[in-house]
Amino acid sequence: MPTVTFLPGFHKADVPRGATILDAAQRAGLHMNVVCGGQGRCGKCVVYVKSGKITFDREKFGNFFTAEELDRGACLACQSLVRNDLRVEVPESSLVQEQKILIEARAAEIPFRPSVRKYYLELNPPSLTDTTPDITRLLEGIETRGGPAANKIYAPLEVLRSVPQLLRQGIWRVTGTVALVPGGYRLIKVEEGNTEGRLYGAAVDLGTTTIVVYLWDLATASVIATASNYNRQIGYGEDILSRVNFARKNGLSRLQRLAAESINQALTEAANNAGIDREDIHEVVVAGNTVMTHLLLCIDPGYMIAEPYVPVVRRMLSTAAGRIGLAVHRNAGVYTFPAVSNFIGGDIIADILACGITEREEISLLIDIGTNFEVVLGNSDWMLSCAGAAGPALEGGEVLFGMRANPGAMEKVRIDGGTLKPTYETINRIRPKGICGSGLIDLLAELIRACVIDRNGHINMGIRHPRVRQGRYFPEFVIAWADETDGERDIVITENDIKNLIMSKAAILGACMTLMDAAGITREDIAAIYFSGAFGNYLNKENAIAVGLIPEVPLDAVKNIGNGAITGANLALISRERRRNLDRIAQQITYIELNAEPSFMDQYTSSCFLPHTDLSLFPGVQRVLDECRIRYGGVE
Amino acid sequence: MSEEHNPEQGNRILEVSLGATTAEGGTRERVYTVGGAGTFPFLGAGPAAGHPPRIALEICDDTRTWSPIVLREVGDLAGDTGAWAAAAETTFGADMVRLFFTSTRQRGFDDFASLGTTMEEVIGATKYPLIVEGSTEPGIDSEVYRRIGEAAEGERILLGTAEADRYRSVAASALAYGHALVAQTPIDINLAKQLNILLHETGLPPERIVIDPYTGTLGYGFEYSYSVMERIRSVALQGDADLARPMISSAIDSLNVKEVREADPETADEVAIRWEFYAAFSALVAGAEIVCVRHPGTVALLREALPALQEGSHPQEEAYGDESA
Repeated sequence: MPTVTFLPGFHKADVPRGATILDAAQRAGLHMNVVCGGQGRCGKCVVYVKSGKITFDREKFGNFFTAEELDRGACLACQSLVRNDLRVEVPESSLVQEQKILIEARAAEIPFRPSVRKYYLELNPPSLTDTTPDITRLLEGIETRGGPAANKIYAPLEVLRSVPQLLRQGIWRVTGTVALVPGGYRLIKVEEGNTEGRLYGAAVDLGTTTIVVYLWDLATASVIATASNYNRQIGYGEDILSRVNFARKNGLSRLQRLAAESINQALTEAANNAGIDREDIHEVVVAGNTVMTHLLLCIDPGYMIAEPYVPVVRRMLSTAAGRIGLAVHRNAGVYTFPAVSNFIGGDIIADILACGITEREEISLLIDIGTNFEVVLGNSDWMLSCAGAAGPALEGGEVLFGMRANPGAMEKVRIDGGTLKPTYETINRIRPKGICGSGLIDLLAELIRACVIDRNGHINMGIRHPRVRQGRYFPEFVIAWADETDGERDIVITENDIKNLIMSKAAILGACMTLMDAAGITREDIAAIYFSGAFGNYLNKENAIAVGLIPEVPLDAVKNIGNGAITGANLALISRERRRNLDRIAQQITYIELNAEPSFMDQYTSSCFLPHTDLSLFPGVQRVLDECRIRYGGVE
Repeated sequence: MSEEHNPEQGNRILEVSLGATTAEGGTRERVYTVGGAGTFPFLGAGPAAGHPPRIALEICDDTRTWSPIVLREVGDLAGDTGAWAAAAETTFGADMVRLFFTSTRQRGFDDFASLGTTMEEVIGATKYPLIVEGSTEPGIDSEVYRRIGEAAEGERILLGTAEADRYRSVAASALAYGHALVAQTPIDINLAKQLNILLHETGLPPERIVIDPYTGTLGYGFEYSYSVMERIRSVALQGDADLARPMISSAIDSLNVKEVREADPETADEVAIRWEFYAAFSALVAGAEIVCVRHPGTVALLREALPALQEGSHPQEEAYGDESA
């Protein structure tokens, strides 16, 4: 078998002839950037072959590279077949990097009442006059300490077996851990002596890309550590669909293991930082989308992606940590958030919990943007939801210089309407490499204000300015000249990039409008718009409205809840009332299938315009753009 | 929707003037106003009825892609664009000529000087307002529309065609030389509205835009075109100012459909005429203010059919007469 050596780290992998370089990279433990899941569409997995022979269609994929790059051996890892031993250089930009991960969560004012509690007991030893069985003695002791009634607590066999020794070794001084589970209480652990102070719980956001863990001291009601890392499943495709497809090809148990390992890695890091034993973690609450939840529980998600698109389960599930390989106490309960549909998963229910939509009468709109987006509209009485594909443009995919929110990404951009000179800020303030989602929205808004593009996103080639030019395939606007950048090429945004961005934003706005129509409300009825997820945190609200990503509402009505999934998971961990409500919230939400909603296509087309075909829906934006046109516009 | 719309004081389709008399700086003996309706078409007389619809005969300067059925019918005229245009008004009875500069659609076209010459020839040969269609190639659009626009300066022609991804050259010419323009979008009300907004933002006044919602040929999607025309008229009457423009319709592929191409030579003309007629007639009913056909026989048939539709809607003299007189 040929050996592929990856530089600069000298990672090696042996693969069969005909395997892709991407396969080899995955075997070598490198996490390549594969936005499209390895279909040769995104052009992100660029590598340079230094020696050895590959099969790669330079004609077909040539548009991703400059001639000079091709000379240096550039190819796409996912489309290059290994022929013999290779040495391959992997540029940093082709690897998934440490992202600005949001572990900020909204501190919510809610009563602290976790579902798991410890009871330290000083029991009377049995005697000939008191022959109460050990377990009854233990459970009655718990009841006496204010715990649930003894006959309501279920003691599973494996705990029961340890009880007689523990009671006697501990000289009748023991601590029992009791968890509230669906249908009653469960004794999950008995320990010698007083361990009441060692009661921890974990809230987990199991994202498709990122995993975030909050570790709570449930005795003192405080967060003692947080940790995050990438979902290791990412090597099997960045998007959900690629994962499900992999699961269908006998990869389910592998993906289950990777999900558990990814959580364990974050849990271990958090536990180490807090200086606690993972074995003292007695409860884990996991908020993940429907597919991630299925994968973690090793339930086949394969039937979700084909007609008629049914998930296996929607309800909140609980299981013991030991059964799914989580590195906490093996009897610790693991609770997964319920889902509304395949597409509105536990992460969105967590968002809803986090922003408290269901606790108020006024109407809120919640938007979670990633490659897929989810929208929820409603209040304490009703909720509508929908989901769709926004395309990867807002995350930097299918945009020539698009990139994730990694160091070197332009995250804020302004353009002077008179001189067309851009100013920008990059993540970590280093020389720019590309543009991330928030920067792209800024660009779109600034280009239309400067009258460089029209409302259709077409660049006005009548403008005589060095930054406005015809590129190799499309008209383009130069944001940064090569000498300002980290690379050797001018950083540009092309008309094609802009088209992809407009289609992405139109899908989201179209979905919002479809829900608003279904509910019979207008933008004036919306009291708050919540953005969930990393995207919303760095987004310029004014620009998001200017390009028509969201309906026009007063700026202070737009709020970022950051990582709503982890906030929701935290709330469900520390409040038994909130957790009990979850299934009801999920049941209360009506899911609207956009593909089956005839008006969506209309809403989408009218949203494929900056900001929208019906300008009266964006009166503020319209005023600003009219002023801009007077200052910078006019006929060519 | 009818309750929201009061024809007496309600919303109206904008009026677009086509052609200019000598007094107005042109050379036309007739000028037309299209649009102005405050209700759906052919619902009887009254101020809401608007101006009568117009029938245009389409001709071209390069017949290589033109339907052989039409070429057979017009004979030698096909070789003389001016004579063909004159015949359209006199012999064939069209309200106006729609001249396609099909020469510009040939690969490598660069004979820009011929455009001005032909344009002048057709202007000289005709007396009624003109519709003129230029190139469809962004690379030459700017030069083509400049030449055509310039040659027709003062005549207030209806210049075509602006599309969402290439409208600037047409709009620039229309603005510079005082013409109206055709704004075409592919059978979608939102796209039609978007293009009107884009054109508005180039500075072109709304009363110089005629919407072409694109007409699918009978049997090949005409129903979608009907539906879009009806919707455009409907929302315009409900107050959507961006769509309150007259519409032009040309079921441009009528003579290329299999049924017409493969018709028995004996009856080919009849089939061609019927195919064009039904789409054009239905487009009138759907709300089109200008309908365009290619077979002279279709013009005749439409002429015959229109009075029945118009009964009571438009005074006969306006329907057929000379507005400038």
